[in-house]
Amino acid sequence: MQRILNLACGSFYALGAYTGVSAVTWALGHGLPAPLFLLVLVASGLALAVIGPPVERLLRAVYDRDESFQLLLTFALVLMFEDVMRFVWGTAPVQLGNAYLVYGRLAVAGSTVPVYNLVVIAAGGLVALGMGGLLTHTRFGRIVRATAENREMSAALGVDLRRVYARVFTLGVALGTVGGALVIPATAAVNEMAIDVVVEAFAVVVIGGLGSMRGAFVGSLIVGVLKAGAIATWPEVEMLAIYVVVIGVLVLRPAGLFAGAAP
Amino acid sequence: MRTTRRQFLALSGGALGTAALRLDAAPALAQNAPVKIGVLAAKAGVLAPVGESGLRGVQWATERVNAARGILGRRIELIVEEESSPKDTVERFRKLSLQDRVDAVSGAISTGVGLALGPVAEEMKTIWLSWDATTQKGVEETLPKPKYSFRSTDNECEAVMASLLTARHLKGKFRTVAGINPDYSYGRDNWAAFLAIMKKYGIELSVVSELWPKLGATDFTAHVAALGQARPDLIFSCFWAGDTPIFLKQAHAAGLTAKSKLVLTTGGGVHEALKKDFTPEGAILGYNCLYFDWARASALQKEFVRWHHEKFKEWPNYESDHGYFTIVAYKAAVERAARAAGGKWPAPDAIIQALEGIEAESLSGPRRFREDHIMEATFFQGMTTHKNAYDFVTIDPVETMTTKQIQKPSGVGLYDWINSWKV
Repeated sequence: MQRILNLACGSFYALGAYTGVSAVTWALGHGLPAPLFLLVLVASGLALAVIGPPVERLLRAVYDRDESFQLLLTFALVLMFEDVMRFVWGTAPVQLGNAYLVYGRLAVAGSTVPVYNLVVIAAGGLVALGMGGLLTHTRFGRIVRATAENREMSAALGVDLRRVYARVFTLGVALGTVGGALVIPATAAVNEMAIDVVVEAFAVVVIGGLGSMRGAFVGSLIVGVLKAGAIATWPEVEMLAIYVVVIGVLVLRPAGLFAGAAP
Repeated sequence: MRTTRRQFLALSGGALGTAALRLDAAPALAQNAPVKIGVLAAKAGVLAPVGESGLRGVQWATERVNAARGILGRRIELIVEEESSPKDTVERFRKLSLQDRVDAVSGAISTGVGLALGPVAEEMKTIWLSWDATTQKGVEETLPKPKYSFRSTDNECEAVMASLLTARHLKGKFRTVAGINPDYSYGRDNWAAFLAIMKKYGIELSVVSELWPKLGATDFTAHVAALGQARPDLIFSCFWAGDTPIFLKQAHAAGLTAKSKLVLTTGGGVHEALKKDFTPEGAILGYNCLYFDWARASALQKEFVRWHHEKFKEWPNYESDHGYFTIVAYKAAVERAARAAGGKWPAPDAIIQALEGIEAESLSGPRRFREDHIMEATFFQGMTTHKNAYDFVTIDPVETMTTKQIQKPSGVGLYDWINSWKV
């Protein structure tokens, strides 16, 4: 909505992952029953969204400037956040104990699937539904959509752009931090995870269309399924497959599959 | 007061004159001035844990050397720079050489960085003692006989040792094999070496899956699903960073580690992250050239391991040993060359000559530089066990092999060497 290319979104994800490990480890150490760790992860991710407003304040400096300034500033943030993570959590991989399998495993069609994976998929679906509901059925959602469509007109009609920007950005930060926190039981937090996720995230938004929620949803499904399909059938083309689609979209529909549609 | 252009030029000229004077005066001070050693240590990204580990080895070696009167009475002064991209690291190498006027540079891990540094070390005529940037193929092609570059052990040593252990312990117990290795030269070279050695040992196998995730990947759920479908008896992987625990955790959750035997050539690089919760017993696990929990370790290694754990609350990995050796090898070479020069500080060429074939006591035991500037060391691998006091796996029994057994000799291609084995 702010029309800003934010590379630091990967850093929010990584910070969410690291904070999630610390929060759950602390809570389990203080007697939290293991199955409740999910609540602690979500709470720690939400709490971390407090970094949203100050970062948004910083980004105001580049809202109306060339994309190269935005990329430089947000990349600088990526590097700074990486240093913060290294300073606080060190360089070795950081992980949760055996939280991943607390909810058990399911045997599905000859494969074994950890129930936690299904919990995360369900959480993703809930977030998508929640965001859809927020944007289409609430007053705040209408203001956000109107501002994304035409910020001058919204401002002329009395919308306080600064407040809307701060809220939307903080919401975005919360999605990143909660996402990082939710994924951590299945993985380990490493310094480079911010970069790893942001590259794929950009492929997702290029395919879906910048600024489109529906596009992001469909784009992420396309990237995820393509990647898994390539690995299962022809592993050498794992990266290629994604970027062939990205190039195809850029050539045939440069603004993305869902550009121009309602967010 | 406003400085005019003329005044500025006069001031600059004066400053340059002073600098020239200081440079002229330098040789007279050299006998007491510190020995400057530049260090290139990765501090960010996937290389950060090993970069930090190498730096700790260098710093510990330096503290000990300085506490014992330095090198011929001169203290070592470290000038630490960061290893990052090849281009930036080359710039820092030039800065260390031209501006800091270092006597030698220690460090670098990435093969890509090593490829770029090799020619620059020759051009700057600065001794470069690599930790891990082995640059095998590139140097063979572009720098067949480097003078200033001293390189680490070969990329494939871990794969050769793990393959020999696989042949020794698992022959006849597997038929289908899958490889999951990082998609760059190290991953490709190790996988190829493994397959060549299996063939040499007459182990008939069928490769059911070859997966190449990019270095630094943090999600392997799709790879684990593909491996689950392929149902390999044995999975070979040379993961060495955060990818190792992530892959093992996801493989364990999908039931893969219960069905397939694992050969993890280099996972000991992040050994503390290999928690018992998800790392099975009976996997072949390699620690490269330092195993922190070795009962037969020297007093030196035990002292270092104790210091490392007290100071950093972590057990050290192999890169500390690579780093430590570069400093003690340089000291030994200077002292050897000085003996030949009547006790005077030797010229760089004499130090280079002395480094060739130099042997020194490193953390993991005796190590040396071969005459062709390649390191020789002892490697540690074994079968994982949960029977220890830690929350992560260790190996028992600890098997050791030296580079005499697992590294190609000077001037011979890897596969020619493997094919020449009598098995």
